[in-house]
Amino acid sequence: MEPPLVRLDQNFAGAADDFPTLLRRKGLLGPAAIVDPIRPVAGLHQRNWEPTEATTILAFKFSGGVLVAGDRRATSGNTVVYDRADKVLEIDRHSIMAIAGVPATAWEMARVLEHSFQYFRRTQLQEMSVDGKVRALSKLLRDNFGFVMQGVGMVVPIFATYGSHPEPEARLYFYDAMGAQFEVTDYAATGSGSPAVRGILYYENNWGAKPLQKLNEDEAVSIALRALDTAAESDTSTGGVDRSGKIYPLIKIVSRDGITTLAETKIAAVFKQTVA
Amino acid sequence: MIEEPYRWVEAIANRREYIEAQLASGSPIAALGYRDGILFLTLGQTRQKIFEIYDRIAMGAIGHPGDIERLRMAAIELASTEGFTRSAADVSLRRLVHYSLSPVMKSAFEQVYGAPYLARMLFAEVGERPEEDLFLRVEYDGEIATGGATFAQARNDFAALSGTRQSRELMESFLKAEYAPDTSFEATLRSALDAWSVGQMALQTGDTKEVPVRTAVAKYRREQLANTGIEAGILERDPSRGIRYRALLDKELRALIHD
Repeated sequence: MEPPLVRLDQNFAGAADDFPTLLRRKGLLGPAAIVDPIRPVAGLHQRNWEPTEATTILAFKFSGGVLVAGDRRATSGNTVVYDRADKVLEIDRHSIMAIAGVPATAWEMARVLEHSFQYFRRTQLQEMSVDGKVRALSKLLRDNFGFVMQGVGMVVPIFATYGSHPEPEARLYFYDAMGAQFEVTDYAATGSGSPAVRGILYYENNWGAKPLQKLNEDEAVSIALRALDTAAESDTSTGGVDRSGKIYPLIKIVSRDGITTLAETKIAAVFKQTVA
Repeated sequence: MIEEPYRWVEAIANRREYIEAQLASGSPIAALGYRDGILFLTLGQTRQKIFEIYDRIAMGAIGHPGDIERLRMAAIELASTEGFTRSAADVSLRRLVHYSLSPVMKSAFEQVYGAPYLARMLFAEVGERPEEDLFLRVEYDGEIATGGATFAQARNDFAALSGTRQSRELMESFLKAEYAPDTSFEATLRSALDAWSVGQMALQTGDTKEVPVRTAVAKYRREQLANTGIEAGILERDPSRGIRYRALLDKELRALIHD
């Protein structure tokens, strides 16, 4: 007999599955990679191809919410693969995931995450909490760690969202490749250009004209552009601002009202005035 | 005993009668397409009856809560996995209902040793333009009704769901006569409330064949609104957003009803 199109579980006991589990049950998502602690991991230094990687993202809180920015370069070894990569991804109306690492894995994670939040709201008839969302990304990273150990698929994201409980406030997290989440009070940066970015944000926050949280939108954009440009100065994997090609970093802002993507003309204007 | 064909037909007829009796008290749900979207509305229920299924699809249901829950979950699972593996644009209400839900409900209904689904559902999918809106009603036996829309010509402005056939038909003839589509949200809200009242009055009085006069409907609506809450949701037509469903609060709706 042909298997039925839909299998309705007669022993149905509520929506126990989260979305990745559902996908795995249907064979639509690969199983969590297994980390074998006994056998040495082959390949870290022997692999003869380089995965495409995207680097340098930053986020900080300012007076209008959280600003999240990423350069546009994707590289593979010392080759520039793409100069218009999108590393700042909208997950839902109030959440942004920015990615440093392998885009193939990161975009898949973003897709799973986006659907997970929707799936939760639709099945459970309530919005997932900020802690639940943060944990969901952590779990995806953890599931991916076996691949990281094999030398492919490392992703180090930043997650920015706006919580409404107990009171409305911006929440900002960065992760390590194993899935630990670190909540930050002011700023976060990951990717190969992040040491330079962190230096600048630390400096600005402590000894700049005003602390990051007091900046208005234009000032915040200006600092984000300067930071990415500085990172690109010494790190070949970071695109910074492409002056001849007129390619600017992607900047999104999470506020109480949702997410805004800054228009390129606006970024260009700030760049021309305060950076170039 | 039911190996004989006649017994099987008899068993199915009994089962139909039993399910109809179970569903008969189900309070009506009206779904109306208007310029900026589709409005789902019902009144005064203890448990939620209007649900988001996917980006452009919503559902209203009456029946046993356990059965509604299983079918709702199946619909969300199917739409979500389809939307994940392909894209949100590939999730289609027509396929969801015709190829997935209806066959399952039909076989559950006809396997007389198993339990059927005690549920009747109304689905709507919002289109880019009002003429692309789709309304589908799915019965406990897998029967799909479109409310007059044909496969070739989908245009359909409203749909109703109720405990009895007679109540639903009265709601439909009321909406056919009174409801002007492509109108504002306020006008749609009033028509939806009136349609609900017509359906609910028919459930209470039993054997009416005629749509009650307008003043009687208005009086009944005012009485009900004074005592119970409004449950409603809209699928917005706004193409700039992916997720179109939004639940509406009783409070925000009352501000728009001028009685």
